[in-house]
This record gives sequence, C-alpha cells and structure tokens, in this order.
Amino acid sequence: MTTTPDLTPWITLQGVRKGFRIGTETVPVFSGLDLTIPRGDFVAIMGPSGSGKSTLLNMLAGIDSPDGGTLQIGGARLDSMGESARSAWRAHNMGIVFQFYNLLPMLTAAENVELPLLLKPIAAGDRRARVEKVLELVGLAGRGRQYPALMSGGQQQRVGIARAIVTDPALLLCDEPTGDLDRKSADDVLDMLRFLNRELGKTIVMVTHDPQAATHARRTLHLDKGQFVEERKAA
Amino acid sequence: MSSLVRQFLVMMRANLAGLRRRMAISLSMMLSVALVVGVLAGFLSMAAGFEKVLTGTGSPLVAVVLGGGTNQETGSEISSEALRGIMALGGDIGAARDAAGHLIASREIVVTTEAAATSLALRGMDQAGPGLRDGVTLTDGRIFAPGMREIVVGETLARDIPAFALGRTVRLGTLDWTVVGLFSAGGSAFESEIWADLDTVRAAFDRQGEVQSLRLRLVDPAGIATLRQALDRITALPLTALPEPDLYAGQSGRTADLIRMFGWPLALLMAVGAAAGALNTMMSSVADRTVEIATLRAIGFGRVPTFLATWAEAAVLALAGVALGTGLSWLLFNGWQASTLGAGNTRIGFQLAVTPQVMLSAGLLGLVTGLLGGALPALAATRLPLTAALRARG
Repeated sequence: MTTTPDLTPWITLQGVRKGFRIGTETVPVFSGLDLTIPRGDFVAIMGPSGSGKSTLLNMLAGIDSPDGGTLQIGGARLDSMGESARSAWRAHNMGIVFQFYNLLPMLTAAENVELPLLLKPIAAGDRRARVEKVLELVGLAGRGRQYPALMSGGQQQRVGIARAIVTDPALLLCDEPTGDLDRKSADDVLDMLRFLNRELGKTIVMVTHDPQAATHARRTLHLDKGQFVEERKAA
Repeated sequence: MSSLVRQFLVMMRANLAGLRRRMAISLSMMLSVALVVGVLAGFLSMAAGFEKVLTGTGSPLVAVVLGGGTNQETGSEISSEALRGIMALGGDIGAARDAAGHLIASREIVVTTEAAATSLALRGMDQAGPGLRDGVTLTDGRIFAPGMREIVVGETLARDIPAFALGRTVRLGTLDWTVVGLFSAGGSAFESEIWADLDTVRAAFDRQGEVQSLRLRLVDPAGIATLRQALDRITALPLTALPEPDLYAGQSGRTADLIRMFGWPLALLMAVGAAAGALNTMMSSVADRTVEIATLRAIGFGRVPTFLATWAEAAVLALAGVALGTGLSWLLFNGWQASTLGAGNTRIGFQLAVTPQVMLSAGLLGLVTGLLGGALPALAATRLPLTAALRARG
C-alpha cells in the first residue's frame, strides 16, 4: 500500500528567528522563517553552505531552540520546551539518521539498533524481536552480530536507519544521509528512505547537497541566506 | 531494570571499551593515583608498625612505678626513701610477693649510649628484671651476672647491628661489655633494648644511687588500682603507677602522630596533583568520546547517566590505581624493617605494617582523588553541544 501525505500541516514554523553570537555580535541565520510540512511528506532541503540547513535541522530535532517564533511538531511546541523535555520528546517521536552513521564501534549492529529502545519500558525479549524485525526491513537480516567496523558504508547507514526507525517514530530527520557513500550505496539508502515514506508513512526531512538524492523526495526546498527561495515538487 | 540503569550501563560499556584508545593517558592517571596511595600507605604503615611494636610491648600483670610526676621513664626519679617506703608496704597492695613475702620487683635505670653510631637504650635492672618481662624468652646464651659488665641483647638489635652478636665485646660509654645472651620478645620494643645489671650500669655511667622506675609483678591486672592507693600513703615525691602496656602506648602515640603529621600533608599535596592529572585524563576522555556522547544524547539518553558513566570511568581508573598502589605498598613496605628514635632518643626497631586500616585510608584517598578529578569532566560531558553529533565523523 502506498501512502500519500495528509494535507494538514504537521510541522509548522512561524516567524522563527535564530542567530549565533560571534564575540559581541549576533549573526542572524533566520529572521522570520515560515515552513509547513504535512504528515507523510518527504522533504529534501538543499542550499549552499551557511544557508541555515543544519540550523533548521537542529531546531527540528530539538537539539537547538529558536530565539523567537513558534516551532510545532504534531501539536507539540518544541520552542517552549526545556532541554530535557525536548530530549524526551525526541526519544519518543523522531529518529535521526546521521551523515557519518554515528554507530558506537564497540557495540554490534543489533546493539546499536537497540539503543533507542533502552529508553522505553520494553522487556529484553521484545527489544530483541523488534531489532531483528527492523534489521530485516533494512535488508540486514542475520547481520546483527557484526560490528560496524566490519560493514561497508552503505550497510552502516542501513544500521543507522534501523536505529532511527526501531521505535517506530512518525518523523525521520536525515542529515546528509548519503554524503559519505558511493553512488550505488547512496541509491540503496535513498530507496530505503523512499520506501519508509511511501510504504510506512514516515514523515522525512532530509538535508542534502546531492541533487540526485533530492529527486527521491516528494518535494525539494531551497534555502538561501535563511529564506526558502524555491520549491520544487517531484515529478 | 530501569531505563536510567540501562542507559548508564551502555554508556559505561562504551567508555570502558574506549580505554584502549586512551591507554597512555589512562595509565598515567592510574599511576598518579597509585603514587598517592603508595606515599600515604608508606607513612601510615610506618606509624602503624611503630604503634604495633610499642602497643604490643608490656604485660598488664606488670606495673611500672615512676617518680617525679612524669609518666615516662625519661625524667622519672624515685628517691631511696620512696623506694624503702614501697618495699616496706605491708598487706595487700595489689602486687605479688615471693615465698618470703617480698615484693617481686626490679629497680631500673635507662641510660642512652652509643654503639655503631647508633643511639641505644641500655637498661640496668635487678636480677628479677628479666623475669618481669612477660613474653620474653632467652633464645641464646644466658642472663647477665651481677657485678659483671655483661649485656643481654634483643634479637632485633643483634640482627640489625652485628657488633651485638653473641660473644662479641662492644664498647658502651667508656667501657667494654660482653654480649652473653640474646632474647626474643615477639618483635616488641623490648627487643631494641640492651639489658645489664643495675649496679654495674650505675657505676659505669656515674649514676650511683639513681633509680628511674620500679617494676612490680601484680597479682592481677586490677591490682594496679590497689597499688595506686597504697602508693598514695607514701608521702615522699609523688609516685605514679602505670600498667606496663600503657607506658609504651604513651610513647607510641606521640611518635606515630608525628609520622602521620608528615605523611598526610605530603599525600594530600600529591593528591591535589593527581586530581589535576585525573581531570586532564577525563577531559581528554570526554573529548575523545564527544561523538559517542552527543549521539547518545541526541537519541534521547539523559544527562544523569551521561554524568554518572563518565564519573564511573574516573572511579574505575582510580580504583585500578588504588589496587596497584595498595598492592605494591603491601609488597614493598609490609614487614620492611625500620627504626626510629623512641623515648630518651634511643633507637627502636620496628616493621612497617600495611594493615587493612592503612590500605583503607590510603585507598579512600586514592578514590577521592579520582572522583574529584573526574567530577568536572563528567559535568562537561553533560554539557557537550549535541550539534557535534550531527556532523562529526565518529
């Protein structure tokens, strides 16, 4: 079954302001950014370095907070939450896919995937069953005992994706998920993300420099100097 | 198992697994903690060994009577009049008597003399003196004869100074003395003494008529109270009666405290340095694990397990240092023969004792050193910018 995005805004940014202090001066990144993303969407965000892509992703992930404006995801006001509340919200509602996978090298693939489940009151047996299921979903059935160092970049990123979806979050944030991969591995990962969006209804926000990666998204937003300058929908 | 514990265990596992990457700096922290532990254990074992020798010396069935208001033999003087008064005391005075009804007593004097460039205690005593030392056995030779320049020497002294071997002649003061016997006293302070006939010692050192202490055999340990009451009846100089163990324990307290007074400040000073080293080690550990910590925090792991896991790593390294420090201290120091100056500035031989109490004190200082040094980096770990996780290569 292929899902289509609900048209109701699910992620909403209104008049978001954000700046960084450099010495005594504050350098503005966003001076009133507006954005709406419906549930089930797959949005690629592109733009030159310094355009604010990472800052936007950090705010969506709740690891950074806006200086002003509102940031709402699924009814939760992230802009008014404290750090620990955002941390708890993140653990229950989103998964993050990192550019360099960020797997813990001393843990096996399965143990890495299990990490987000440790935050929830789930019995060990159930945790293992869920880990096996998602590893199978990302095409790594039977590879759970392998350590990351023995896996290719593409396989490691699949483990990263499995870790991001193991708690079945509604939202996936991907930061240059193919930035460290060769073309073939990158396409496999992007196909995986598309599958998660189309078949499982995950809302995905992906920051990327790669125009080819952006074609896998439903739409692409171009960010420049803290403003969206262009929106392109997938054919 | 709660989520907090699971988070802590995963982070702790990640920390410990990364120790191999940080081998050199982790070892340096361990060694600096071990050094602190070793230095403190060294001083404390010295104090403990010294105390053990002196507190293990003497019998509760022997009373030492001192004159002149002192509770040490040095500076004590019992006049002839007082001595006569004591010996004439009738009835039950708490002290034992021989078959003829005489008190079992030994008049004694301690003179400081030198041999082999060492300050030594030469004790002149009556013939009953050796019999008033419980736990002492003659291991070789015989007891000194009255009127002869003969000495009986403790085994510790004979072992440390070859001039006191059985049969040797040794110059004490201006005269030569012959070693006619060796005795053992279970390593107690007696073994650091030289015993000789009272009158011979007094004549050789121009101390005619002097008596510093009178040892009396008690009927039982409680006899000391009766003896004190009896001594109050003698109106000459004030007399003090002490159980023999109390006399030596009093000597040990001052010297042991002095050793500790040197040991603790030195160890604490080193601990400050080691804590700074621990802080440096743990800061580098946190820096090394920035991506891991930030990734876990980005996933949703809390600040508390982050703090505890980093702090626990410091504790583990400190404990390893403590184990190394106490282990080496025990191997190197325990039983090591040493000597110091006791009462009257005379030599007392003793063995360093790395007791459980010593290990506990030194170990706790080592652990506290690690924990203090690890606290700030643990706090720093909880304040790492999570944005580091998103773009860093792990």
